[in-house]
Amino acid sequence: MSAAVGADRPQVVSHVQQALSYTVFDCKWVPRSARLLCLGSAARGTGIIQLYELHGARLELLREIEKPKPIKCGTFGATSLQQRYLATGDFDGNLNIWNLEAPEMPVYSVKGHKEIINSIDGVGGLGIGEGAPEIVTGSRDGTVKVWDPRQNDTPVANMEPVQGESKRDCWTVAFGNAYNQEERVVCAGYDNGDIKLFDLKTMSLRWETNIKNGVCSVEFDRKDINMNKLVATSLEGKFHVFDMRTQHPTKGFASVSEKAQKSTIWQVRHLPQNRDVFMTSGGSGSLHLWKYEYPAQRSKKDSEGSEMGVAGAVSLLQNVTLSTQPISSLDWSPDKKGLCVCGAFDQTVRVLIVTRLNKI
Amino acid sequence: MPVWLREHSWRQTLTAVYLSLPLRGARATPGSIFCSEQYLKVSIPPFLFEAILYAPIDDTNSTAKIRNGNIFFTLYKKEPAMWDSLTLANADKEKLQYLRENAVLKAHEKAKEETEAKKITKQEHKKYALEATMKLEEEERKRIEDLKEKERQKVAKELELWKNQQKDGDKYKSMQKREELHQEIEPLKERKSEKINKTQIPNEGTSKTRLKSTKGCRGSCSIFSQNLKEEQLPSPRAAATIKVNFTPRVFPTALRESRVAEEEEWLHKQAEARRMINSDLSELEDLKEEEKNPDWLKDKGNKMFAMGDYLGAVNAYNLAVRLNNKLPLLYLNRAACHLKLRNLHKAIEDSSKALELLTPPVPNNENARVKAHVRRGTAFCQLELYTEGLQDYEAALKIDPRNKTIEEDAEKIRHLIQGTMQSS
Repeated sequence: MSAAVGADRPQVVSHVQQALSYTVFDCKWVPRSARLLCLGSAARGTGIIQLYELHGARLELLREIEKPKPIKCGTFGATSLQQRYLATGDFDGNLNIWNLEAPEMPVYSVKGHKEIINSIDGVGGLGIGEGAPEIVTGSRDGTVKVWDPRQNDTPVANMEPVQGESKRDCWTVAFGNAYNQEERVVCAGYDNGDIKLFDLKTMSLRWETNIKNGVCSVEFDRKDINMNKLVATSLEGKFHVFDMRTQHPTKGFASVSEKAQKSTIWQVRHLPQNRDVFMTSGGSGSLHLWKYEYPAQRSKKDSEGSEMGVAGAVSLLQNVTLSTQPISSLDWSPDKKGLCVCGAFDQTVRVLIVTRLNKI
Repeated sequence: MPVWLREHSWRQTLTAVYLSLPLRGARATPGSIFCSEQYLKVSIPPFLFEAILYAPIDDTNSTAKIRNGNIFFTLYKKEPAMWDSLTLANADKEKLQYLRENAVLKAHEKAKEETEAKKITKQEHKKYALEATMKLEEEERKRIEDLKEKERQKVAKELELWKNQQKDGDKYKSMQKREELHQEIEPLKERKSEKINKTQIPNEGTSKTRLKSTKGCRGSCSIFSQNLKEEQLPSPRAAATIKVNFTPRVFPTALRESRVAEEEEWLHKQAEARRMINSDLSELEDLKEEEKNPDWLKDKGNKMFAMGDYLGAVNAYNLAVRLNNKLPLLYLNRAACHLKLRNLHKAIEDSSKALELLTPPVPNNENARVKAHVRRGTAFCQLELYTEGLQDYEAALKIDPRNKTIEEDAEKIRHLIQGTMQSS
């Protein structure tokens, strides 16, 4: 599917491209600003945090911070808007929360895991969602831990394998369902294709399934509403969209799956301004923009009379190939609709603008 | 000898010669007329007309009309002059021949030139067409590029606008806040109507602010907002652990590394083996219908084994094997019978054959493989070939590590081996 210019399709315009001297693993917009952060690992084995500001057609480096261990992932999800502290997970299993004004000492630090923290997510901050701000980290040691920045050293929830069970790497975590002070769920994806949904209110496993291929990225369409949709992407170019409104006692959640491309789908990110539009980034350096359409009826009764969900359909709005290396990280700006940043393994970070999203 | 056509008549003007040639019944075609600058020939075998013209003519423009058994030539003179006669007088034979040949050559050359000219024009036309299409495509491409550029610029402008809005908005808000804070600090100090202000401040706190916040009075006010926020926030969760199990897989690898292919192969082999029947034995004619079915024979053999009739069981398995020698279970069971009958070598043979047929090794045929190894191991041990026996027991253990009896037997054999080594 090639870009149809002149039609009403959204176009992905590459606005700025910045070459970096290190491998970038994660890139995030600083909320309420035109600044972005790049997190990564330098060749000498140290971690780098760089803060850029968008100036016209180029990125200006405002600040560079170096840390002893390479940094894999970061989030602003659990801080307030005044503070805007960055929570990072590094290759050593340490969870740190930094004040970017004074980055010498972290505001909060804990050695959360024995191995690299693959994925991090935050909820309860930035005026989004209700309840206490919490951070969840998923690590190669097979555990998923939920942290509260007010409590040092011990996690408030720990999802670990049963004694004697061989562990699977956890590749991705996401918060969801945080629509009031008590409710919260954590969804975790593992390298053997397991997706598990943990309910933090009842401290139990609410649902699990296996999609056969390792799960690279999961995301709820919104963290702060009654859980609506969950997208899980995997190796071998497949992604699944689960309708999370109706849980059947045995069949779980209804889903639709789509095979986008032959390579791994590294990330999925929903547009903050429209929860039915999401972008997937692939191992072949391409980005695909999708729209989910709801079915006529979202739930129906099965033969025993219990409710089961009906999955809708996904359609491709646009795709573009930006690089030859995988695009490993993607973030939409929460302030400007259509502005996004992506970081790829060819050591470049690109700022893109997706046009005509109003017309979808 | 050609028949000469001599009854021609001609007349002339200053610029042209009009020649009329009656054909005496012969049919003329355009191919029978040959004309060059000074030579004209009409050849319709056996008739022949030839003329060496008085002066050169323009043969490209001259015409010949074939009509009513006549040919009318309209020859345009190269030089306007009156000819004394149509043909050159006193033309001797040699001159004639020379002129003829010349004419032919000239005609050839002309033909060549014409083809050359045609080719060149064709090429030029092609080139032109190609260039035209290329231009069109270029234009199309440019159009698309322009559209894209316009989009880009539009979008960049919008971004700038938004950024400036952000900055202005922030400045305005921060100025506003400073004023309001100055106003509110007095009521705060009085500690009256704090409730109203307190509820206002947290709202201010969550509105847009810049990363670099001003200190001073802002700091004291933000303390208030922090306390309030904490009152609104629930306390940290009670620590708890959720235990998880991972999806059990025989092969703990992703789909792309699974052994599905081998499992498929195994199933396929089994299906094939079942279908195959060695039906070219003459003794089969004596058998009843059911006795020709290897599965039925296998069941019969199993029953006899259970009752202790080992020889009967062996017979049944033999017949089944003759019918279908690809079923590994037949060999396996026959090996068990031979063990009971103490035909140890035969037992080893049969177990080996069974193992051969049980490739590729997949979970489906685990049980069978374990049995085969155990039986062969037992046979070896009874033949006092303890090392080979141990090998087989260890292979069985590898497939099924949880089987206690196999473990114990393997231990026994190890002891035996050590015992014999010590004593010898």
